[in-house]
Amino acid sequence: MKNLTSWAIIGLTLIFLIGPFIIIIFAGASAGESLAFPPDGLSLRWYLKVFTIESFRQSFVLSMGLAIFGTLAALLLGIPAAYALNRYELPGAETIRTVVASPIIVPGIIVGLALLRYMVIPLDVTVTVALFMAHTALVLPYAVRVVSSSLNNLRSDMEEAAVLLGCTRLQAFTKVVLPNIRGGVLAAFILGFVTSFNQVPVSLFLSGPGVRTLPIDMLAYMEITYDPSVAALSALLAFMSLAIVFIAERLLGFSRYV
Amino acid sequence: MSEKYVSLRNLTLSYGKTVAVPNLNLDVVEGELIALLGPSGCGKTTTMRAIAGLLTPTSGTIVIDGRDVTRVAANKRGIGLVFQSYALFPHLSAFENVAFGLRLQKMPETEIRQRTEAGIATVGLAGFEKRKPAEMSGGQQQRLALARSLVMEPKVLLLDEPLSNLDARLRLEMRTELQRVQKKTGVTMVFVTHDQSEALALADRIVLMKDGKIEQLGTPHQLYAEPATAFAAEFMGFENIFRVQGENLVSDFGQLPLGFKATSPMLAWRPSGVQVGQGPLSGRVSASSFAGGHREYVIDTALGQIKADAPIETLEVPLGENIAFDLPKSNARQLSA
Amino acid sequence: MFSNTREGLALALPAAIFALLLFILPVGILLSEAFQSDAGWTLSGYTDFFSKPLNQTVFLRTLKLGVLVAGTAAVIGYAAAFSISNLSPVARGRVFGLVILPLMISPVARTYAWIVILGRTGIVNDALVGLGLADTPIRLLFTETAVFLGLLQLFMPLMIISLLSAMENIPRDVIPAARVLGANWFQVFFRVILPLTKEGLVVGGTLVFTGALTAYITPAILGGSKVLMLETLLYQQVNVSNDFVSASVIAMILIIMSFTANLLLKRIATARK
Repeated sequence: MKNLTSWAIIGLTLIFLIGPFIIIIFAGASAGESLAFPPDGLSLRWYLKVFTIESFRQSFVLSMGLAIFGTLAALLLGIPAAYALNRYELPGAETIRTVVASPIIVPGIIVGLALLRYMVIPLDVTVTVALFMAHTALVLPYAVRVVSSSLNNLRSDMEEAAVLLGCTRLQAFTKVVLPNIRGGVLAAFILGFVTSFNQVPVSLFLSGPGVRTLPIDMLAYMEITYDPSVAALSALLAFMSLAIVFIAERLLGFSRYV
Repeated sequence: MSEKYVSLRNLTLSYGKTVAVPNLNLDVVEGELIALLGPSGCGKTTTMRAIAGLLTPTSGTIVIDGRDVTRVAANKRGIGLVFQSYALFPHLSAFENVAFGLRLQKMPETEIRQRTEAGIATVGLAGFEKRKPAEMSGGQQQRLALARSLVMEPKVLLLDEPLSNLDARLRLEMRTELQRVQKKTGVTMVFVTHDQSEALALADRIVLMKDGKIEQLGTPHQLYAEPATAFAAEFMGFENIFRVQGENLVSDFGQLPLGFKATSPMLAWRPSGVQVGQGPLSGRVSASSFAGGHREYVIDTALGQIKADAPIETLEVPLGENIAFDLPKSNARQLSA
Repeated sequence: MFSNTREGLALALPAAIFALLLFILPVGILLSEAFQSDAGWTLSGYTDFFSKPLNQTVFLRTLKLGVLVAGTAAVIGYAAAFSISNLSPVARGRVFGLVILPLMISPVARTYAWIVILGRTGIVNDALVGLGLADTPIRLLFTETAVFLGLLQLFMPLMIISLLSAMENIPRDVIPAARVLGANWFQVFFRVILPLTKEGLVVGGTLVFTGALTAYITPAILGGSKVLMLETLLYQQVNVSNDFVSASVIAMILIIMSFTANLLLKRIATARK
């Protein structure tokens, strides 16, 4: 009896959490012209149509680029920072930590607005560059946090051992530290990628002619029409995220790092 | 053979503003196995890290094999260190762990292979080359860590609490193993421990440290039989230590008459040195336990508690009863303050 | 621990300088904007903002929805987390995977589903009309209820994750121990389980509350201009009215709330150590 109640609660919660996602999949598979559930017959026409919409294609490429290169840049900045914060006695370490983590505290929309107003406009920076900077900053806290927690689990005497065996500090890092935090770095990359790709508020103000991230483009498209193509695209993107996370989970037990 | 193979001169070591070791002087003889012994915080690990080059001295010099290495970086000193945690590289096989340092020297592959295999064989791990550290037992990891340092043919091999992570049986086994390897390779070993029995069993000489200073330096026998200070005596198992005031022994609790004339400010007896069953003194038995060959008594006296081991043949005195005992001159160890 | 400070700073500072220049500096200038006027420093930006009825409504609504969403998530999330924590390890892992799965899906996609559900021709209206409970479709979209549901669905996983990690830390035998000592289930819950998971509730509540406060997509899609929240109001002030003083005030409110919440979480995290 108690078991039954448990499963009922779990079932209802999961329906509430996952149900909308299922509805989206089917709403996108509608054969009709309008958004509806249950759909007016099933077809893949909207799923296929998504690929023919030029602005979606452009914004997909932009979002992909931002997610990949923004996250890489964040890791490039974040790994050394996480390493230094973990292994060195730094003056003002707490301040550095707070500064690096600040992008997580400030709501994205404010960051986007601030960058637009005080960087893009006065310094004549292109929107794409600003977006790249903003997404890098956005992912930076995740990169530092996930890499830090991997480093925490790696005893520092291993590096000392490497040094005593003849390594320079840099060799100790590349030969001993990096191979052992590979999982954490990969997890940080995936987490950063998904966060950046799905990000809306930061990019809200940072768009220009022909420069829009995919989620923003979808929001704009929805203002014109409610046809099932956005549902289809949403479902496709969700599948993409899930596939990435699923593979990551299989490869390295990703959920440990979230 | 050099008498001053490793030479620490006026060495001062500090972490930030806290001085851990002030002005230490110590010479290590080539080929000896020397123990740095002391409680935690006595500066033994700090000293070891300074020899390794992991800590830069505030002042003083470190000379190894005639060369001043005070400012030489840790990776160029040619010193081996077996970490307390072993610090094996989890992503590498046993073979690659041992070959790690050799590879950095850009040695030809055949020589790397040869020396690595020899090193692994020396510590009795032949056949385990492909295992990852996580797939090995604590004792095997310990041997692997030892092999990894030994193949580098270090001038000095440092060992940080080498036996502390092993269970009692393995500890005995590793003790013999360490001695065997040392005899075989002739490498100078400095090891750090807080366990006096480990130091006594393994070392050629023991450096007993307290508050960053050398309290006493000598062979295991010297330290065991002739501790010079109250601290050394306590560390070596003298559990009954009292001050001498004229004709009396004095503690914080009270005093008892001393049966002989003492010339030192303090006297100490091991529990086995206290004579039980007869004698001019008496106290009340507050604890008594059987310990195989003898019986351990705790006796409440005017001096506080006295620990005494009685031969098992002597009559057992029940708890709460009075017991006669003596602190004989023959078993007393004279201590400076 | 290495003591070479210069080397450490060389590694840490690029990230810090990047965040400082691209993040803290612009945001700082934005925040200062509300305090500046031709006459010098002023608070009139704030008094003006709060004197407008619309702004008051939006401010209060944002707080109200934040509290409602956090509260509801706490109640439902607690029941769910407790049920999940009682599953076998394998089942627990699978269900946990399903719970965090939505977090990886674009919020746009997750919110868009509610249009299908709540729209004029959506599932709910179809059912209502079909069952004869309503003559014509009723307006469900662009209501506070729609925003509430969207936010609840979006942030509930955070609550469940926090509660689950708290429940995992309940020592194994305390519940049977309490039973043996004579407590009924009601007492077990209120005297043992609830106090032991209080922290998880606070952590989850804070995450959900700040999440709801600073969400943009959900109020934008499901609330539109009819149900403005602080973030959508900020967007409107900038894009429609070009009112940067109001935007700066809203930014300050959001940052203060988010910052306070983070301080609270940090305090809990350090207390736990």
